[in-house]
Amino acid sequence: MSAGTNRWSLVLAPLGVGVVVILFWQGLVTVFDVPSYLVPGPWLVAKTLVADWSLLSASLLVTLSIALLALLAAVVLGVATAFVFVQSRAVEMSLLPYAVLLQVTPIVAIAPLIIIWVRDPLPALVICATIVALFPMIANTTLGLRSVDRGLLDLFRMNRASRWQTLFRLRVPSALPYFFAGLKVSSGLSLIGAVVAEFVAGTGGTASGLAYQILQAGLQLNIPRLFAALVLITATGVALFAAASLLAWLTLRRWHESTIAA
Amino acid sequence: MHKVTDDGPATALELSQVSHVHANGVRALDTVDLLVRRAEFLTFIGPSGCGKSTLLRIAAGLVAPSQGAVRRADEDATAFVFQSATLMPWARVAKNVALPLELAGAPATDREARVAEALARVGLSDFAQALPRELSGGMQMRASIARALVIAPRLLLMDEPFGALDEITRGRLDRELLDLWQERRFTTLFVTHSLVEAVFVSSRVLVMSPRPGRIAAELVIDEPHPRDDGFRLSARFAALCGQLQSLMLRAGAA
Ligand SMILES: Nc1ncnc2c1ncn2[C@@H]1O[C@H](COP(=O)(O)OP(=O)(O)O)[C@@H](O)[C@H]1O
Ligand SMILES: [Mg+2]
Repeated sequence: MSAGTNRWSLVLAPLGVGVVVILFWQGLVTVFDVPSYLVPGPWLVAKTLVADWSLLSASLLVTLSIALLALLAAVVLGVATAFVFVQSRAVEMSLLPYAVLLQVTPIVAIAPLIIIWVRDPLPALVICATIVALFPMIANTTLGLRSVDRGLLDLFRMNRASRWQTLFRLRVPSALPYFFAGLKVSSGLSLIGAVVAEFVAGTGGTASGLAYQILQAGLQLNIPRLFAALVLITATGVALFAAASLLAWLTLRRWHESTIAA
Repeated sequence: MHKVTDDGPATALELSQVSHVHANGVRALDTVDLLVRRAEFLTFIGPSGCGKSTLLRIAAGLVAPSQGAVRRADEDATAFVFQSATLMPWARVAKNVALPLELAGAPATDREARVAEALARVGLSDFAQALPRELSGGMQMRASIARALVIAPRLLLMDEPFGALDEITRGRLDRELLDLWQERRFTTLFVTHSLVEAVFVSSRVLVMSPRPGRIAAELVIDEPHPRDDGFRLSARFAALCGQLQSLMLRAGAA
């Protein structure tokens, strides 16, 4: 198989699977006459998506803003923390357990507290989502800043490079592939964090994102709208991941093995 | 780039009673005494793990020996060429070669001229804007040498620089290195595990014993320069190789 065919099949194969699954789903729903308040068919979901677009798009904007703000915060905090970590092993050893603690504590368990403490719903939700998205940024960037070619480090030392020169000319570029690996994970996590936090905040919150629509639709047994909201969340997750991947590719394509086509 | 002139002391490097134990307890070097004359081409040969790299890193000032003293005549003009080319993969060749000058804060115009000259000297002028991954192994090594040349080194340390290359490329780079050395007269400390390469390039070969490394024997190669393929094919070359082989056998180094 030539490289060209390969690239196309990379896109077409999963797309084909998707089409088959959707047709199968529609087929089952039609043949067995499944009521739409149990499982709506994909066609109904699509129609609902269009019909409820003004409502859903407003919610999408809310959830997307929370996720993007959280991702931005996670990137800034994660990179800053990583920079602090690589300054000394002692600092890393004393702080890393707390970063891990943040990572292993289920967000649903601390979200109510954060929502009580931070009165404004939007910042509260952003904080929750940031906590979910933060750790991969810290862990990957730290690993990257440490994964420097030993020979290049020696070269910098031989030429009496300052700490800053070594950091910005050597450690930062070396860390980029790791940073982007973290970004791809965190982009998805920021959305998951936003949705989970919205769920915890419940319908009482004034920020009405997609999770709010799912809760409302569930209460009203408006299952097609629930599915439509679900589809939007998934699509947003895929879009965030694709954007992170594109950014990584644009930055690394010239030199990093991960982006060079075989 | 200026030629190294005879204005300094005759000794380029002196190691006295140098021993080294690594942090993990491995004894890498045992009481090494070494006097390197200016403009000498000195080669270390010995089995893998005998401490050759450690010795070079100590000579470079990258590692402080656990015991003994190191005196270098030219602290600032020391360049290191590693076994792999160790180029920054994200930077173009010219940028890689310019690195030592940039780190030292040399003005941009001066930098460009010196980089262009160094690249021309190793025959990479046409590849200044290439990325390292676009070069062959031999060309990457040339870029690495250009990066060493750019600071006009008085002491050049080379740790198995051509060890990863094929025999033909290695032979060519050996000749090019000798030309450079003839022209610039920097002091060279060279590590190899190739007996043939050692005899061809060196003015003096030191045989190291297995770990902990000591200097077990010395062979002076008093063949005049320039050396060419005629020397490589001569009976004298074969005799010197034989001599070095037997020294290595006696040292337990082969
Ligand atoms: N940084 C280090 N820390 C611990 N042990 C090392 C280090 N560098 C080298 N060694 C050990 O010291 C010995 C000599 O290594 P080296 O100088 O690299 O030998 P050579 O270059 O002759 O192969 C080896 O046993 C090696 O494993
Ligand atoms: Mg070695």
